[in-house]
Amino acid sequence: MNRKNKKVVVGVSGGVDSSVALTLLKEKGFSPIALFINFQEENNRCCGSEARRRAGETCQELNIPFYEINAEERFKERVIEYFLDSYKEGKTPNPCVVCNKQIKFKVLFDKLKDFNASYIATGHYARIDEGKIFVAEDEKKDQSYFLWDLSKEVLRKMIFPLGKLTKTEVRKRAREFDLPTAETAESQEVCFVESDLESFLRGRISLVPGDIKDKTGKKLGTHVGLPVYTIGQRRGIGLSGGPYYVLRKDTDRNVLVVTKDRKDLEERRVSFERANFFEKPDLPLPVEAKIRYNAPKGKGVLKEDLFLFDEPRRAITPGQSIVFYKGEKLLGGAVIK
Amino acid sequence: MSKKIYLDNASTTPVEKEVLKEMIPYFSEKFGNPSSIHGLGQEAKVAIDKSRKKIANFLGCDSEEVIFTGSATEANNIFIRGVLGSFENPHVITSAIEHDAVLKTVKKSGVDYTVLKVDEDGFVNPEDLKKKIKKETVLVSVMYANNEIGTIEPIKRIGEMIEKENEGRDRKILFHTDAAQAAGYLSCNVDELGVDGLTLSGHKIYGPKGVGVLYKGSSVNMRPIIYGGGQEEGLRSGTYNTPLIVGMAKAVELIKEKNKKEKTEELRDYLIREVLKIKDASLNGPKKSRLPNNTNFSFQGAEGESLVMILDQEGISTSTGSACSSKTLEPSHVLKAIGLKDLQAHSSLRVSLGRKTTKKDLDKFLAVLKEAVERLRKISGR
Repeated sequence: MNRKNKKVVVGVSGGVDSSVALTLLKEKGFSPIALFINFQEENNRCCGSEARRRAGETCQELNIPFYEINAEERFKERVIEYFLDSYKEGKTPNPCVVCNKQIKFKVLFDKLKDFNASYIATGHYARIDEGKIFVAEDEKKDQSYFLWDLSKEVLRKMIFPLGKLTKTEVRKRAREFDLPTAETAESQEVCFVESDLESFLRGRISLVPGDIKDKTGKKLGTHVGLPVYTIGQRRGIGLSGGPYYVLRKDTDRNVLVVTKDRKDLEERRVSFERANFFEKPDLPLPVEAKIRYNAPKGKGVLKEDLFLFDEPRRAITPGQSIVFYKGEKLLGGAVIK
Repeated sequence: MSKKIYLDNASTTPVEKEVLKEMIPYFSEKFGNPSSIHGLGQEAKVAIDKSRKKIANFLGCDSEEVIFTGSATEANNIFIRGVLGSFENPHVITSAIEHDAVLKTVKKSGVDYTVLKVDEDGFVNPEDLKKKIKKETVLVSVMYANNEIGTIEPIKRIGEMIEKENEGRDRKILFHTDAAQAAGYLSCNVDELGVDGLTLSGHKIYGPKGVGVLYKGSSVNMRPIIYGGGQEEGLRSGTYNTPLIVGMAKAVELIKEKNKKEKTEELRDYLIREVLKIKDASLNGPKKSRLPNNTNFSFQGAEGESLVMILDQEGISTSTGSACSSKTLEPSHVLKAIGLKDLQAHSSLRVSLGRKTTKKDLDKFLAVLKEAVERLRKISGR
């Protein structure tokens, strides 16, 4: 293979993961081209000027070409608006899934073509083999949950250099290389919500206070606006005599339905929409599914637009992704209805 | 990677060896403060006086009319805000294709202003300008040559027109020009041009970054915008930056010897001819009255930003517009002012030649460019 078709376009964030990914790619003889995607110049936890500086510095030290891509407009249109729309509809969005599909991997794929490169890579924790995604070796850090909506086209070009490493090994490597990003904090939460969700939503969508009721319809108090609550939430409901859990959001009546009984939140049936499968599943199919990034996988049966868990799950949340696995292999996912 | 080919000389230029050599003693050896009485200070003062004289020779003015500043941007600010601040209810006229250092300064000045339209090649029409003059007008600022599309403005004709207007006017109109891009190739004799203010930049003419010059005609009254030790006739307080000032003067002195105007023009015309052979490629800016080292093209269906990156991968440095505004998504105000649609503006590429540019460099550039444009068009489906 000549040098030219070892070109790989790498999405870098100024964090430790993507930086270490660069070092691994170089070691394997690839020629990385680093792209820092600017989603939001201001009010962003991740891609501010500090992150850009770190990313640029890292690339300079590793002697890797570094470019900045401005995707602010697209990010606002495709991700933030989707985020707000979901809340308006009483759902809980998964912005990272949408961003990966519509922005991050799209930009990388576009640039792959521009640069006539052969691969794209990121610092995600996941494994990939012949265009199929598998959970990362470090299962605690596994990020395959966020990758279910990518296209097969993208996956065929994808490399995840960190798939076989643990976070501890990644940090160790960053320190060995003395990378400027070695000690960066973990990115968590939604990158564009700077403080708390309520203050982000306030002023951006209308928050109409309404009744908090129990299952029987008895009024218990007042909520500040349905969007700020998540199914299963316990803290911050503001009722005495609890603990209470958010059971349902009745958007038609603007009522927050709560319960004291955790069992009420349990359900086996998950209906979904907008599914994406990397290969067409033979239904019905016994697989495992995950309904939240940090929830464990659970066994069940996949049917048409429906998943039936063997054991009931807590707090199935409309708008979140349900993601399907067969063993370690990611089959695809969908949006919970 | 093979030799780097630098075709972004409108953004900045390398410091010429002779310039650097002249500067070096003034960092650690001859480091005195020119305002000091002792020998070390006097040594530095002599260096600054000599530098001032060299610049004055270049501009055809008196040494007292040369003010050293920290950049061309600062020089523009000192002049424009200094003049506007010394009048009651002033009016100022500038052009739509000015560098932000002038355009934003005018817009933020809080006074009445007119931004003059330009034609499709970027030219200011002196007759149009004349029509915009009001009783309150105190200042006109029009750049000598544009940084993005290379248009050389008719400064001399504007100067003559203003001189005529000034006859019998109570409020005399002052005329300023930003010559940061022009200085390398065009005469900057202030009397011939008929200007009261003129701005130069060090790093555009193979001098150091962080130094500029403001010519301020001796009859111009203005207010300082920086206060302090009162250096530079009180208009630019701050300890003299001797090494940069010495470097600036040396750079100006070397222009005549080093900048080969005709050779550069030949290369530019060759480049324009060859690029325009690419299908759906167009030249932004004029064919005539254009800076010898400037070219700017649009390639339908190929994004400028992508072209810059692909060329960079091959060791060739170019830019989409002015380096200062390349971070914003907003298409260049200059390209918009000459009537380009957003899409055309986004597909623009500025290629600016320098002293070291050879025909071989341009041929290598052309080969990479053709392939890149073709590929990008295929991807975008054109």
